[in-house]
Amino acid sequence: MTTRANAPSVSVLARRWLGENATFYLFAAPFAALTIVMGLWPIALSIQTSFTESYTALSPQPTYVGFANYIEVFGDPVFTKSAWLTLRYTVLAVVLNLVIALFYAMFLSSVLLSRGAWIFKLCCFLPVVTPDVAGYIVWKWMYSGDFGAVNAALTALGLPEFGGVSQVSTVTLAILIAEMWYHVGFYVVIFLANFAMLDRTLDEAAHLDKAGFWRKFTRVTLPQLRPAITINSIYALIQFLKTFTVVVVITKGGPGTATNFVSYYAYRQFDQAQYGTATAMATILFSVIMVLAFALYWYNQRRDWR
Amino acid sequence: MSRDTALRIAAYGLAIAVSAFFVFPYLWMISASFKSTEAILTEPLQLIPDSLSFKAYRDIAVMSGVGLGTYVWNSLWITLASTVITLLSTGFGAYALYRAPKLPGFGLLRVGFLLVIMYPYMLLVMPVYLVMFKLGLLGTVTGIILFLSVGPIQFFLFEQFFRSIPREVIEAARMDRASETRILFRVVAPMARPVVVTVTLITILLNWAQWFPILVISRSTDTYTLPVALLSLNSELGVNFQGIMALATLTTLPVILVYLATQKYVIEGMISGAVKG
Amino acid sequence: MKLKALLAGTTLALGGSMAMAEELVIWHDLGDNGINWFAEAGEAFKKMHPDVTVKSVSFPTDQWYGKSIAALNTNTAPDLLYNNYERVIRVVDQTGKVMDLSDVFAGMADTGFLSEADLNVARYDGNMIILPVQRVQMGFGARKSWLEAVGEDFPETWEDVQRVSAKFIAEDPDGNGKDDTYGLALEAANPRDLIHMLDLYTFGAGLRHTLIDGAGEIVIDEPKHKQVLVEFLKTFTDYGYVSPDTVTHSFPEMYQVIEGGRAGMFRVGDWNVKKWDGADVLNGDFLVGEWPQHFDDVDNAVVIGGMRGVAVPDNAPNKDMAIEFAKFLLSVEAQQASLNNVGAAVRGDFALDGLSERRLVFAQPAHNLNAYDFPESVHAFYPELEADFHRELLEVLVDPQDDWGAYVDALAERMRAKRDSLK
Repeated sequence: MTTRANAPSVSVLARRWLGENATFYLFAAPFAALTIVMGLWPIALSIQTSFTESYTALSPQPTYVGFANYIEVFGDPVFTKSAWLTLRYTVLAVVLNLVIALFYAMFLSSVLLSRGAWIFKLCCFLPVVTPDVAGYIVWKWMYSGDFGAVNAALTALGLPEFGGVSQVSTVTLAILIAEMWYHVGFYVVIFLANFAMLDRTLDEAAHLDKAGFWRKFTRVTLPQLRPAITINSIYALIQFLKTFTVVVVITKGGPGTATNFVSYYAYRQFDQAQYGTATAMATILFSVIMVLAFALYWYNQRRDWR
Repeated sequence: MSRDTALRIAAYGLAIAVSAFFVFPYLWMISASFKSTEAILTEPLQLIPDSLSFKAYRDIAVMSGVGLGTYVWNSLWITLASTVITLLSTGFGAYALYRAPKLPGFGLLRVGFLLVIMYPYMLLVMPVYLVMFKLGLLGTVTGIILFLSVGPIQFFLFEQFFRSIPREVIEAARMDRASETRILFRVVAPMARPVVVTVTLITILLNWAQWFPILVISRSTDTYTLPVALLSLNSELGVNFQGIMALATLTTLPVILVYLATQKYVIEGMISGAVKG
Repeated sequence: MKLKALLAGTTLALGGSMAMAEELVIWHDLGDNGINWFAEAGEAFKKMHPDVTVKSVSFPTDQWYGKSIAALNTNTAPDLLYNNYERVIRVVDQTGKVMDLSDVFAGMADTGFLSEADLNVARYDGNMIILPVQRVQMGFGARKSWLEAVGEDFPETWEDVQRVSAKFIAEDPDGNGKDDTYGLALEAANPRDLIHMLDLYTFGAGLRHTLIDGAGEIVIDEPKHKQVLVEFLKTFTDYGYVSPDTVTHSFPEMYQVIEGGRAGMFRVGDWNVKKWDGADVLNGDFLVGEWPQHFDDVDNAVVIGGMRGVAVPDNAPNKDMAIEFAKFLLSVEAQQASLNNVGAAVRGDFALDGLSERRLVFAQPAHNLNAYDFPESVHAFYPELEADFHRELLEVLVDPQDDWGAYVDALAERMRAKRDSLK
């Protein structure tokens, strides 16, 4: 500090400000570049394409058709059916995964399993980190009616055969199970983290009150699990609305159109050069996810549970 | 036997049964890859085959005219390169946005990033084809690596870590008139080792599993990674079930090993990434 | 968007390993057999064009479609496309960027081995979209050892097939002591899978059309067509001759059922025989013949499912050389390599020694042949009509009807209404 002096001049201040901030801009530049080029640009392109005629969509001068693609999409009975299927599946999957994850986490954090719990946690989280394609391919063959392990096991136990992915009546359950196998460990682990932070004194109080299990669960445990429930429901909602890989690998949308979820249907359309309608569907799904995510976020902020 | 012990045994029994549900598919996969066709058809539940057959692994030595080694190399190289880029870009990016959130443009960047991670990933990949084309990166490994470098939760992991640094530490350094670069490298970076390890591990696991962007950006099987090769192993000309299981095993095993060796980091990283996001 | 320019610049510098000498890239879906064939053909081609290398890339069929369509639309096409005629039609429809090869073909001398019927399966909308290189023949196959086990001969008629199916299911023809065998292996996961099977039933029975005739009339409720269609639907449902999983089976699963020895009767494509003669697979334990006869007064046949051929995108990077190579694929040398590696060709003027009896069925046809009619080459509205037809059939397969005849009648009416709305 050689110039210990009067207040620094404006130009010095400005230069210093710029110097500091130039560093920040430099730090942020690669991140910004990737976000823009690999994220925002394709999204913009996708939205733009949704307003063009498919046949000209990729040419230098596409023909703009206004909302024609959106009108076509909403008038397409296959899409409407697909949208309902997606919604129904999402609700089923979110409820099933969260409920099972909650009870399994409660079970794992109970005193009964004190020392061994970590290894069980390790097992249920294993599918979360392994490649989904590989996992689903294995499930696909395990469901095979001809030599799959699932029916072989059922037969060995003297139970009726499971239709698996070959029947409309069972395909939803079959992929729910496969997806739960893959995802549920994540929700379990989040719940477990929340359980570790529970206030045990409230438990004691409830115990002294002689409150029944159910009463204790709904009055004492659940309210304290709100952070985990919120996080898990946001993740699960987004996760299952986008259900894709399991369909590509196991069912290809079938049997019939029983698992033709929106993301898969849009992808098929794109593959068949129906760029306009495919991107219109993508934009619709994006809007739904955005609205849901913001609603949940807003709800979350308002409660301020932290 | 006391009631307590009985309960304990029952609880362990249940936990083992549930864990078997999670682990069985892997065992079945590994076992099937070493079985003969006949053994699979007659004894689908038998996990330890009577005799080991390595035929499936020989069968997948060349797939679609491309050697297994190429797929393995692509998987390794693409995963590692994109992990390094993700690490650097989100690390520095999150730091800049944390330190100077009010700088012009940074607010927009944050919103933009949120939009990107909310966009349905598989639908984002389709227009990425056009982007790659416009950039001249279609069919190149560079294109694949750059696209995979946009990671969803890594940014939040870093941001959360930076927020946990006591304000006074950075303020003190600023008082000493240390430059921003110096603050980052001398003050913040030494504390960041755990978060860097976590982000690295999670990114490796996520990118190793990627398939859809790689499938879309590729223009030949030369740039396929193991999961994409696995998905393409089915063709109209026939199917090799054991080969599929062998390739699935090769695709999964490295990840399982990394996970088992580093489970604490991985699980905790995932939790804090999620809690923040 | 300076960033964009910057990034493009840096990556151009990075990706500078682009081809120096001329490299022809051809996209197909023939797997390793095709790769070997194109490698051999490429070597032979090199003798005339020393600085040209041919690189073939094999994609699964679904990926082949998606990639081809996207590439032609964005001017990132490969030099050549290779696939079945009707698949190339879809690429033409969705890109409009496949070259008309009429003049190229007219300028070729040695083409006498292609009949007018063959050439019809190369033209679309007045253009010659492929040079036909391989006839696609599909016969009906049955496991030899299973037939022996249940005391039957190769099934000739539909009644035979029904009787043999029942025996294959009931009598444990593979002798493994388990109730795990089926009569037939079919597929129905996607519309394309289903139509493929229905076409084989229909043309194999000697009929000339699947859904509409040349005049655009719906034929499915005409007595003979109706009978075949109903039997086809019942095969999946009432009769239960196929594995119940069949509605989710596409080619890979169907092959697993065939090669895994779960079904005794199946489709045999000319390109399947080489693999199935192999020791690891069926080891030649199968017979190939015509599709089952449904009517006394109509000849059953081996089905010609069209042509596989080579197409040149309008925006191929090395278009002239691509055309040269396309022409070369009809030379004796390339054709012989095609027969050896893939099991099909359009020429027959070369040695056939050493081919198995099953391969000779296709290499030297001595039986009835009946070819697809390709209504899409006549009626522009056909693809959309057909898509509706398939959707209906796929839905009804998982929702079996009590009265199939009445269902087909009603379906025919719906198809007429749809056709009228499309015309």
